Amino acid sequence: MKIQISGKDTQKAIVFDSGTLISFSMNGTTDLIEKLKGIFKGKFLITSEVKKEVIDTPLRIKKFELEALKIKQLLDDKVLEMPSSLGIADPEITIKTNEILNMANSFFIGNGREIHLLDSGESSCLALSRILTEKRIKNILAVDERTTRMIVEKHENLKEFLEKKLHVKIKINHDSLKFFHGFKIVRSAELAYVAYKKGLVKIRNENVLDALLYAMKFKGAAISGEEIEEMKRLK
Amino acid sequence: MQERENLLRIFKETKEAVSRDDVVKIKNLSDQTTNTASLTHDPDNIASAVIIYSLSKILQREDYKKLPGWNKFYGVYMKSIDKSIDALERRNDEGFGQSISEIRDAIRNLSGKLKDYIQDVFRSAEINKASRIYEHGISMERTANLLGVSLFELARYAGEKEDSDIPESITISVKQRVNFAMEMFE
Repeated sequence: MKIQISGKDTQKAIVFDSGTLISFSMNGTTDLIEKLKGIFKGKFLITSEVKKEVIDTPLRIKKFELEALKIKQLLDDKVLEMPSSLGIADPEITIKTNEILNMANSFFIGNGREIHLLDSGESSCLALSRILTEKRIKNILAVDERTTRMIVEKHENLKEFLEKKLHVKIKINHDSLKFFHGFKIVRSAELAYVAYKKGLVKIRNENVLDALLYAMKFKGAAISGEEIEEMKRLK
Repeated sequence: MQERENLLRIFKETKEAVSRDDVVKIKNLSDQTTNTASLTHDPDNIASAVIIYSLSKILQREDYKKLPGWNKFYGVYMKSIDKSIDALERRNDEGFGQSISEIRDAIRNLSGKLKDYIQDVFRSAEINKASRIYEHGISMERTANLLGVSLFELARYAGEKEDSDIPESITISVKQRVNFAMEMFE
């Protein structure tokens, strides 16, 4: 399907994975996503798979109903949008998602077995990012969990890590390797950093950046204390 | 079923550890099943990890043993471990599945505070094991689906673990990643 790009506003996008939205929601900071959208000249997108994980399923769990409602509100207010808003249909994403799932889950082989690392939510985000890139729409992924990020950015580290943890020698299927190049990933922590730098955070206190970054870490963002301290020192 | 011999050893050693009241050993044995579960995603290994870890937690609680229904529940639990060992020895996968189900049924048949407590122990065990599998390099969503826990629960639990800083997960510089984000907002 050919995308109709109407002006500058649709020429870039951030694709949100579940974990990033969960970090903002559980910290009570979904207003920051809304404020970031206010200064962003593009779209914040989620796939149907991610919608299922952060809205549809938790809406049925009393413990997380409120978190799900906060994210649903972002979708209702069009802060978050579905890929169809850019003319990208679900079947197109599904085809690419399955392709990525097959590649990611046959990437590492341990004890003669393919190690299944990813599931459909994360893969659908990679799929959408790849489709956007193919359509020349500049985009980044917002992913808080580490496995997807390690596959994309430094698979050697993931190999080493899996060998250490699983106590097996890992072989890499090099045919899948090239497919994972070219993705750019940020986490909730970097988005919180942008919000802070752009003056979108209401709290006025010298420790607010520290508090925001650690809050994201404690709600699942895979960021080390060392990285947080370095981020605080950036000018 | 994957890694049958390993599972059989773990169940036998668990039984011995229970007889010595060695809860540390039982917990260690449950961690060993986590390794296999992370590699194979085999449901039997995952269920075993949860059951053995829960047992280590339940045995630590002297107060549970005074509650009505404890003796019957504990009897079913231990009998099911015996049946699991027997099924594994006979390579009877169906029998193994049944023995695991008997523990779930025993929990369902409990009542009062003991039911609440034991359900809570099992729920916590599922989240703990999910967190351990995530630590083994499997993605958060994949892990949550394997254990049937919510992504919200897993994210919170994994984030609050003291050993969540993993050097290998630093894949590009902080500055580079911040630049990715800042550039998008220019």
